[in-house]
This record gives sequence, structure tokens and C-alpha cells, in this order.
Amino acid sequence: MAMQSSDVNLKQEELLNQQYRQSIGWNGKTLKEMREETDRLTAQSGYYAGLRELEFKQSEPIRYEKIFSKLRGGLVHARETAKRVAASPIVEQEGELCFTLYTPEGDSIVTSTGIIIHVGTMGSAIKYMVNHNYEDNPGIEPGDIFCNNDCHIGNVHPCDVHTIVPIFWAGEVIGWVGGVTHVIDTGATGPGSMTVGPVTRYDDGYQIACRKIGHDDLLFQDWVIESQRSVRTTKYWLLDERTRIAGCHMIRDLVLGVIAEEGVDTYKHFSREVIEEGRRGLINRIKAMTIPGRYRQVGFVDVPYRHEDVEVPPYAKVDTIMHAPSEIVIDRSGKMSLDFDGSSRWGWHSYNATPVAFTSGIWVMMTQTLIPNDRINDGAYYATQFNLPYGSWMNPDDIRTAHSYAWHFLVTGWSPLWRGLSRAYFARGYLEEVNSGNANTSNWLQGGGYNQYDEMHAVNSFEAAAEGTGASAVKDGLDNAAAIWNPEGDMGDMEIWEYAEPLLYLGRNSKPNTGGFGKYRGGNGYETLRMVWGAKDWTMFFMGNGYVSSDCGMMGGYPAATGYRFEAHNTDLAERFAKQLPFPRGGDPRPAEKVYEKDLKADVKRDKQAITTEAIFENYDLYLNYLRGGPGFGDPLERRPQDVEKDLNGNYLLPEFALKVYGVVFQQEKNGHYRVDVEQTAAKRLEMRRERLQRGRPTHEWMREERGRILKDQASTQVRHMYATSFELSGRFLQEFRSFWDLPEDWNLYEKDLDMPTFGSHHRAMNSNKLV
Amino acid sequence: MSSRKTQILAIDAGGTMTDTFIIDDHGEFVVGKAQTTPGDESVGLLYSAEDALSLWDMKVEDAFPQLLTGVYSGTAMLNRLVSRKGRKVGLIVNRGMEDFHRMGRSIQSYLGYSYSDRLHINTHRYDPPLVPREWTRGVTERVDLFGNVVIPLYEQEVAPAVRELVDAGVEAIVISFLHSYKNPIHERRARDIVQETLDTLESDIPIFASVDYYPVRKETPRTNTTIIEAYAADPSRRTLELVNERVKEKGANFDIRVMASHGGTISIKANELARTLVSGPIGGVVGGRYLGQALGLKNIVCSDIGGTSFDIALINQGDFSIDTSPDMARLVLSLPLVAMDSVGAGTGSFVRVDPYTKSIVLGPDSAGYRVGVCYPDGGLDTITVSDCHVVLGLINPDNFLGGQVKLDRQRAYDAVKEQLATPLGMSVEAASFGVIELLEAQLRNYLESLVMGKGYSPTQFSCFSYGGGGPLHTAGYVKGLGFEDVLVPAWAAGFSAFGCGAADFEYRYDKTLDINVGYQATENVRDDAAEALQGAWNELTEKVRDEFDKNGFASSAVQLRLNFRMQYQGQLNDLEIESPLTVLNGATDWDKLADTFEDVYARVYARAARSPELGYTVTGAIVRGSVEIPKPKIPEEPYESETPNSAAFQGQRKVYWDGEFLMADIWEMEALKAGNRVRAFAVIESPATTFVIPPGFEAVLDTHRIFHLRQVSEGR
Repeated sequence: MAMQSSDVNLKQEELLNQQYRQSIGWNGKTLKEMREETDRLTAQSGYYAGLRELEFKQSEPIRYEKIFSKLRGGLVHARETAKRVAASPIVEQEGELCFTLYTPEGDSIVTSTGIIIHVGTMGSAIKYMVNHNYEDNPGIEPGDIFCNNDCHIGNVHPCDVHTIVPIFWAGEVIGWVGGVTHVIDTGATGPGSMTVGPVTRYDDGYQIACRKIGHDDLLFQDWVIESQRSVRTTKYWLLDERTRIAGCHMIRDLVLGVIAEEGVDTYKHFSREVIEEGRRGLINRIKAMTIPGRYRQVGFVDVPYRHEDVEVPPYAKVDTIMHAPSEIVIDRSGKMSLDFDGSSRWGWHSYNATPVAFTSGIWVMMTQTLIPNDRINDGAYYATQFNLPYGSWMNPDDIRTAHSYAWHFLVTGWSPLWRGLSRAYFARGYLEEVNSGNANTSNWLQGGGYNQYDEMHAVNSFEAAAEGTGASAVKDGLDNAAAIWNPEGDMGDMEIWEYAEPLLYLGRNSKPNTGGFGKYRGGNGYETLRMVWGAKDWTMFFMGNGYVSSDCGMMGGYPAATGYRFEAHNTDLAERFAKQLPFPRGGDPRPAEKVYEKDLKADVKRDKQAITTEAIFENYDLYLNYLRGGPGFGDPLERRPQDVEKDLNGNYLLPEFALKVYGVVFQQEKNGHYRVDVEQTAAKRLEMRRERLQRGRPTHEWMREERGRILKDQASTQVRHMYATSFELSGRFLQEFRSFWDLPEDWNLYEKDLDMPTFGSHHRAMNSNKLV
Repeated sequence: MSSRKTQILAIDAGGTMTDTFIIDDHGEFVVGKAQTTPGDESVGLLYSAEDALSLWDMKVEDAFPQLLTGVYSGTAMLNRLVSRKGRKVGLIVNRGMEDFHRMGRSIQSYLGYSYSDRLHINTHRYDPPLVPREWTRGVTERVDLFGNVVIPLYEQEVAPAVRELVDAGVEAIVISFLHSYKNPIHERRARDIVQETLDTLESDIPIFASVDYYPVRKETPRTNTTIIEAYAADPSRRTLELVNERVKEKGANFDIRVMASHGGTISIKANELARTLVSGPIGGVVGGRYLGQALGLKNIVCSDIGGTSFDIALINQGDFSIDTSPDMARLVLSLPLVAMDSVGAGTGSFVRVDPYTKSIVLGPDSAGYRVGVCYPDGGLDTITVSDCHVVLGLINPDNFLGGQVKLDRQRAYDAVKEQLATPLGMSVEAASFGVIELLEAQLRNYLESLVMGKGYSPTQFSCFSYGGGGPLHTAGYVKGLGFEDVLVPAWAAGFSAFGCGAADFEYRYDKTLDINVGYQATENVRDDAAEALQGAWNELTEKVRDEFDKNGFASSAVQLRLNFRMQYQGQLNDLEIESPLTVLNGATDWDKLADTFEDVYARVYARAARSPELGYTVTGAIVRGSVEIPKPKIPEEPYESETPNSAAFQGQRKVYWDGEFLMADIWEMEALKAGNRVRAFAVIESPATTFVIPPGFEAVLDTHRIFHLRQVSEGR
């Protein structure tokens, strides 16, 4: 049959159309179709992507391991190399950066070391782009660069900025690589990466919602200009971005090299299997380390926003408490579910979290205790079930929420999980693995203005990466060692912080009594006293727990000490230095005795208000940065007297508490050394145990009394506010509360009955559509 | 008596055994062993030398007068440090910061840990501080980062602190104030008051001010290093003097030098003796550089596999690079250390199957001298890489260390079967081969990422492979990387000792600077910058010349090399670069330094990472000075033939390789001659090492007794 000219035209047009329309997913699919298929197969089979067998790994275990170690080693190496480009001590000294490799549909395959909470957050950003058809508009092409820091799309807080790069092979997206760094400023209402003051998204700083920022491996000029004009610390922003891009490109080369060596089909298969392997790995580990059952625990932390030193809009002036009850259920097959039913509502502060921050961040902790290995990927996510109540602080139902310091709640909400798991380890006999919890990772020293080099600057001290750690069931916690979000903690050298901050050190000391007491004590915190020096137009503020212990100790161990603030303005230090007079140096071991003030004339603020917004600081003003201790384990009366003696001689414990808490009788010798009297101690402890028995009452009696207080609304307003928001979100929790305390069927607490603004409590229906 | 010409004496005094290597003018060496004699190490040294020389039928009295030079390296100082058996040191720091040394840096609670344990928080622990808190005193003063005095030195606080420390019985006093590297006025004044106070107390304990030793930024490494100087290094000086005296008594005509962390050797009279704390692994890198010079190779990757680790280092343009803030014995330090990457993967690495993921896990711990399950006397239950070698037939169980250690193949076979093959569902041979393949793949990845990570390609480099376990795996870990050449010296097992003997007599001094030059800075600014850097070089040059003066070298005999460290303004990492100029004169010379930096930066971090718009900072000046000293000769033999002599052929052995048993030719390494070409499949054996030539490879021995390994086909 003869061909007509119109046929030819049609064919060409079709061809063009085909080229234009060609999908970039595997086997002609769009990325969105791939996403849907993977989810369907996983849901149907219970195995990731329907992989019931690990065929590749079983048939060629050596080749499989070789590919894994090449990718994993390459990612770690890229991180180590790229981080040297950065100028920010947060990235370079503290290692707050991470690179992860993803499947085309956004599931993580392998991750580097570092802040691995972002295994999930960047994946969430990729899924967002996939689900919003980015391949059509703005288009996804080789050499493209994308950026995200929007919490509601996929982030913990806006200062974690993502750079995401697609990896193409023969016209298909073979995967993505994402890099994240914790930047030092995001142009929020106040300076610093985790500023205090934002109460809505619109105060949280520069928000980038999965935006294409470059093509052909080059950044668009309009992006560079806009981003440089949107944040305070432009140099750090610039070098951080170059760090992320350098790492992503190194990893892209690595993946292309692996594909060239192993073949694209092998790589595709590997990338699926390694996730299913990760899922099974977690389950096997849970089976080996724990005992099936229900483990319940709770965490609280304060939001003291009614204070005059917290400058926020009137509707945010609320004193309340965050509530995070949790239940870990481990079933016979080793599957774990985590239920946070009863959590309090999101609020007008910057401590809200998104579900992806919550589910993904769990792995930052789990790799420190349950699965300390390099096999962390989305398989662990698929092995775990979460219930995060919609409308709670960990799953807000309103896009207005602020997140700049989501960790204030996350740390407190997660730390109890360590206690839950530790009870399982304890029951199984793994005493060494028991860890009674975490320090509240504060204070955060932050601020900004013109620095010692006359440059506009923001500071965010990561001395908070070295808090005291929780005690185990066989030894004390470590002093000034780590943070729940970074086991490889470090406080850095003072000379480096003075390089980065216009703040002179007048002290850096271990802080006695800050770790929780116990048979094994929590690690102590430490404190640094800083004098503003060389700054202009300078502000600073405090961020930490003050009224509430955010973790409680375990099996009789005490919680760690809470925080407080000390700041001094209009000081007479210049005069004291000139005359060589005494002045505050070193630690503040007994805050109640106000030792600093004895050698200082100044306007001092010393109180429990450990969260403040920007205050003006002049040179010679003082700021105390107190980093917290960890919780204790076991009854202090069981602590070896020799260990208490060491604590006394090392100045880790204030002497009066040796007797009061530990029941240890001691004497101080002429040279100042403490010596414990073992016999008298035994007698004293016996006496204390008798007193305890006398003081004790049957539980039902005590509960009856407490019940009476509940019915008479005798709990503090903050406590009632906290429960009111929990009850409002969960009928199940309310019912459980009623039945536990034997309260009437119609008993309830309502926000409207409290003398507090109720913004956000009524008008959420209009926002009830899922946000992502 | 033998007619050998002994050249070089290299001493490695370990905690239990003292090894001596004596190298002759053919590059051949003997190793002697004797028990270390703590207190006076010279006694053990002489026994060890006697033991070595007996193999050549020589006596110490005959051999020592012929020696050209001798280098000492030892672990006595490190042992003293690790076991916390040093001097009682008192520490004077800023008042208010008395805790900072015992707090350490948190990083010290997991230094040296595997990745898994670094994450695993309950495994972290601190070692006891070198100076306990009770021997620490504070003195009020503050200098800021620019060197400005903010708070004057409260001089009256010094003397009471000294009296208390002396009363407490300290044997040395270390002083370290913040930013003293920038402005030493307070630290030096305090030092002088300490001295005056000690004089009045009629005490002669030594004083160590950090600025007089390690004037570099970061107080924890600086203070740690200065404390080590007082705690472990200075007390070791007498030991070194005794060694020197004893060697001279036996006829040596030279002063013993000590291997130092910067890759040179220094005199036992050197001011900064703490830098001799580490020496072992860097010997090979120094040897690699020396051998490279002799062979005309400028770009070399040095790779060393021993029982416990795989150490790699780059020699670029004839020189290795320096890490200025390394860690050792779980302490952060401010010593210049030859930059090496080390991974816990060696022939003794344990092999396990992870019970949760069923993955093979190699190391990071290892069997050390206990070899593996194949060595019944070792008392081990867990299999090692060496067990896999034995199963495969790569190692002759009857000729391990020249037959000194008998290995049991069946034991290894059974253990590999139970612990590895059965859980993985593989045959014992296939599982063993898989372990070797996996190990070599990991080593290859490390090697590749080291080279690529520094911005180079392996095709620009030659690879040296040495160490007792190196030649077993050389082919495996270089496969496909495309090195220009792969060299395996016949003396691979003693290469580190050879390297110590080949080290320069060299001092290196570093000084922290902060010279900032903005983007498109004026000529005046650049002039001043050039002048400031030149000033620092002049100061350090003086220090270097003073050191050589102690050993009687005139300043004209000292060859100087000038380096600088530069970064973009605000960055926290710098690059060390050798200055293209010997003297700086003004702005145009400054520009040449900046251009050199830009080139290096682009190569290391990719062009896109360059940021000249931020301006530059010079963060440090370095001066290296060396003098001529005798070095070991590289062996030189006449070319014989391509075909090996049948005397070298030791028959064939069945070896499992990639899915089947093959017959491998066994050759005796010592009997091979220059020009000999050994084709696959072959195993070349010597008492101290085994060299595998797998399918797809061949090796040719050159006239310097160095094998060149070549990939002739894709192999299998």
C-alpha cells in the first residue's frame, strides 16, 4: 500500500510527541507510576516492592556485598571530602551534614554518616516532586539541581537545607542523591538557625519548596541572588550550598561508575533488594534484643511563653507543657509499632514537628542503641508502624505552624523510647545496652549582629552536641559527651568558637549535680561563661528546658537537673580587669548562692526562664551557656560509696547531696580530700530505707487523694492546658484517663475554661485537608 | 666472616620485643629479635643486633663500624602514655577553665572506634586525663583571638599555684593559655614567674610552655601535645641517650636519629621530642618517597597491608602530605603527621556473618600475631582472612614465616565451613574466595576514593605494595584501577624499616597565622601579607637552624623548603602548599601564591567549589630544613634473562581460584633474577611474604629487585 504524505507527517509528529512525552521512569513509566506501583506491591505483600526473596543477595552474596560497600564507602567518603569546603563550624566541626542515595520514587537505599534523620526528609521531598509531576513541569533533566527546606513537604526545621540531584542513565532516572547541611541562619525573625520567636511559618525564615535551582550542574543566577538576599550569613550559605553540590556530584559519579561496572539491571535490582534487606535487618535485631510486649512511657517539656522576655504576638503568650505519651508494641514476629496517642496539640511556638521528621528521626536514635550499623535505609521505616495523632504537635493539621526548633519537642518525645527499649534489654539480660535516656540538648546559645570582623553574622553554638549521657545498668553515663541527635558529639575547642563568635570565654567547667543521681549516675553537663567582646548591635537569647525535666531517670534513678538562665548587663568588668580585681570566672556550681554576683556589679537576670527571645547585649555583658546532664539509673542508695567519694573529690557532686540523696557519710580531710566512712554509710542507708517505708502509703490511697485534686481542678493551669489539648485530639486517650483515675463519664478539661488565648483551637476544620 | 657491607641500622623497640633491621648495600636485610629491656633499652638492642647479624655470620663489633647511619623508632614513649605511667605533671591554665583538660574533647571518647561503635553510644568511654584535676591550677588572664590583651595577667596568682603544685609532688609543670600561639606575652611571663618561684623553692623540675613547643591554634590538641612532651617524651630522652652511647661504644661513627611523625628523622637532642611518638607505619611512606626518587617516579600511592590494617598514603610531585591535627592514643594532638588513611582490614582481620542481616563482616578487629584458627597455638575460635588464604592454598601451611609457624589447614577448613560457608549456603572454597574478593574490593574502593578524593586519577600514579600481607592481595586491589605501574619490592616485608633508614634528617616547624587578604585587595594589603608570611618563615628558619646547630651543622648546610597553608576567608579547612618562591617580594609574589592555591583547590574539591570572591586567609607558615646524610642503596643487579632459572621453581600446588582448583607454579622469591618474567598462575614465596600472580597478571623482576605487576588481560 502506498504511503500518503499525511501519514509521514503524522508519524513524524507522533515521534516528536513521543520524544517529548517520553517518561523518565523505568520501562516507560512516569516516576509517579513507579511510586504507586512500589506502594501497591509493598502493601499487598508486606515485603518492600513485593520482594519475598532476596534473590540477588542469596545467589551472589559476595557481589552484593561488594556493591553495598562501594556505595556506602563512597557516600561516607563524599561527605568527608565535601565537608571541608564548608565554613560553618556546625558543618565542619560538628558534622551536621549527610548524603543519601534514593530510588527514583524517593526511597532511601544507602546513607552516609551524619544527621541521618534526613534519610527520610529528603526522601519525602523527592516523593513530593514525584507526586506533583515535576517531570512535566518544571521538568527533571540530567544536571538539574533542586532545593528544599519546607517542613510541611519534608523537613525537620528550615535550617536543614536540602540539595537534591537526579541521576540519569540512558534517559531514565536511575535514582536521586540528596545532601543536607544545617545552615547557620535562615533569615527568620531572629538570627541563628533555631531561633526563638517564630510562632508561624511566616516567621520561620526563607522557605524553599522543592524548587529547581540549577541546570547543567550550574546554579541559576536568580536563585543565587535571591538566596543571598534572604539570609543573614551569606558566606556560610554559599559555602554550605557548594558543600552539598560537591558531595551530590561525587556520589552521582560513584553511582554511574557502579552501573558501568555492574550493569544497570543489576543496580536496579540491588537498589530494591537492599531496602527489603534493611526491613528484615531491623526485625531480626528486634527479635534478638527485646521481648514482645507493650512498653509505655511519657515525656514532658515546658513552653513558658507568657514571660515578658518572650516577645511574641499576644495569641502565643501561653504557658503550657508538651505532652508525649508513647507505647511501643513489639509483636511475636518482631514487628514494632509506635503509638503516640494522647499527644498534645501543636502550638504557636517553633517546636512543632512534621510526621516525616518524627518517623525519620527515630532512626537517629535507633542507630545508637538498637541497630548500630551501616544498613539504615527506608527498610527500617517499612518495618515499623506509627500512629502520630493528626492535629498533635508531631502531625499538625495547619500549614501555619513554625518549626525552627522542632528538636525541643522531638528530643523530649523520643527520649522515653530509650527507656522503653531499655526495659526490654534489661528483661532480656542485656544490661550493658540499657540507657536511661537523654539530656535535654540545650542550652542553645544563639544570636547575631555585627561580629568581631565587622561582618553581619549569626551564631549558633554547637557546644550543645556534648551533653551528659544517660546511665546504663552497669555504669555511669558519660560527662559532656554526646547528644540524642548525634552520638559522635563534641564540644569543640574554645579557640575555634572564639573564632566563630564574638564571645570571650571566662569559664568552661564540668557542672556538678547536673547528671541524674542513681546507682549509676547520669553524665554531668558542663557550662561555659561568655563575655561579649568585639560585637556591635548584638543580640542573644536562651533556648532550653527550665521548669520541667525532659527525661525522668530509670528504675529509681533521678532525672537530670533542669536549666536556668544567667545573663548580666551593664557590668563593671572593664574596671575590674584594669584594677586586677576578682570577677566571675569559671562555673556556677550553686545557682541559688549567686556566686557570680559577689564579684560583679551589673543588671543580672538569673531565673528559670530558660527560653527567651532576642535581648540586646553590649561588650562586657555576660551569658552563661549551661549544657545539661543525663538521667540516672537505679536507687542512689545502691551506689558504691567509693564512687560517691570519687564524685565528691572530682567535684561532680555537691557535698550535701552525698548525704541527702546517697546516704553517704563522709569527712573532709585537711588537704580538702573527701573520705567516705563505709560503716557509717551502711548504717545511714539502713535508716533511710526505714524512713522510706514509713513515708510510703498504699497506691490506692495516694490515687484517691490525687483523684480528688483532679476533680477540684487543683492542677496548675499549664498542666490542665496540656491535657485539655490532648483530650481534644483523642477520645481514646480521654477515656483511658477517666478510667485510670476513676473519673465520671462526663469529666473533661476545656481550653476555654482556662485563662489563656485559644487561637488555633477552633478553626482547624478549614485546614483539615492533609497538607502533603 | 661474611663480606657483607652493612649500611643501615634501623631499630624498632616495641613494648615486648626489640627488632633490629640491618640493611646491606644490596638492599638485603636481616631481622633480629630480642626482648625489650625497659629502663635501658640499649641492652635489648644489642642482643637483637647480635641475633640479626648471626644470620650473616657477623658480629656487632664488625658490623657497626661499617654502618653509615642508624635510626631508632620505638613504642616506649607511646606505651608510657597509653599505660598512663608518665611523669606527675602539674598544669597551669586560664583561671575558670581548670576542667578543660579532663573534659577533653568529647571526640576522645570514641576516637579509634569502628563506625558501628562510634554510633553505639553505650560503648563510648574516656581514658583518664594525663593530668588529674587536682594538679591543675588556674591563673587569671585573657588574650583574644587577634592577640589583644583583654584581661591582664594577674601575676600574683602564679607563685601560689606553683607552690601548691610542688607541694603536691609534681615532677614537671606545663603552662597553656588560650590564644598564646597568637600573643605569647602572658604565657612567657607566667613561665618566667614559675621559674623564679621554682628557684626560690630550690626545685629543678622542668617547665613546658605550650608556645615554646607547639604554637598552633586549638587549645586541646596543643595542651595535650605539650603535656605529652613533659609526661612521656622528655622522660624518654635519657633512654635515647643510652642507646646512642651504646651504639657508639660498639664502633658506630654517627649519632642515632629518631623517626618523627612529620616523616623526617630528628636528633635525640631535639626540642620537640613528642613528635617521635609515632613512627611505625610512616616508615613505609618515607621509603616509598625515597624509592620513587631513585626510580624517577613522582606520583606514588603507597599501600601497606599488615595483619591488622591497610594503610595508604599519596606521594604527589615527590612529596607526601601532612596532617596537622592528627590523633593518637585516643588524644587529639597538634603534631604534624604524615597523612595516611588507615582501615582496619588486614590479613588477620576476623571474618563473621552478621546474625541479623546474614552479611559478611570483615574486621575491624583482628587476630594480630595469633594468625587465625589455622594456628592451633593461637587459641582463636573466630576465622580470619588468613584462614581463607590457607583454605584456598594461597599460603603454604608448612612455609608460613619460613616454616617457623606451622598452620593446620583442616582446622581452618572446618571453621570456615561452620562459621561462613554453611550460613551462606556456599562451598567452603567459594566462601573463602568470596572473602578475599570482598576484602580486595573494599581495599580497591579505599584506594580509588583516596586518589579520586584528592582530585587525581590512578592513571597518573604508580602503586607501591608492601607489608607482610601486601603482595598477597596486590593484584586484587589494583585490578582495573589502571595504575601506571604496580611495584612490589622483594623486601616488601621489611620495607617500613628500609623507609626509616631512608628518612631525611629533617626538622619541620609550624606556626599559626591569620593573614587575611580580601577579594581584589589593594596592592598595599597584598604587600603587607607577603611581608607577614615572609616574617614567619624567617622566624621558623631560625628555629630550624638552631636545631641543626645542636648537632654541629652549619646553617649553610641546611636545605630549606617553605610551605604555607591557605584557605578562602571564613573556611575552617586549609590546604598545605609548597611555596613556588623562596623569597616573597611584594604583591605580585603574593598573587603567585594565590594562583597556586586556586589550582590546588580546584583539583581537590572540584572547580565549582572555588570561591575567590571570599578572599584568602593564610593560616600557617611551615619551614622544613634538612641536611645531607647517608641513605640505603637501592639494590642493583645485572640483567639475567626473561626465563627464570629452574632452581627458583619449587613445583606446583593446587589452589582454588574463582570457582575451580588450578595448579599454581610456586617460585622461590630469593632465587629469581633480574629480568625474570613470572606468568600466571603463580605464587612467589619468601619467608616473610607471599606474592600471588593470579590469572590475567604477570610479574617481571627488574634490576633493583622490584617486581612490576602487570595486568595482561581482563582475567577472570
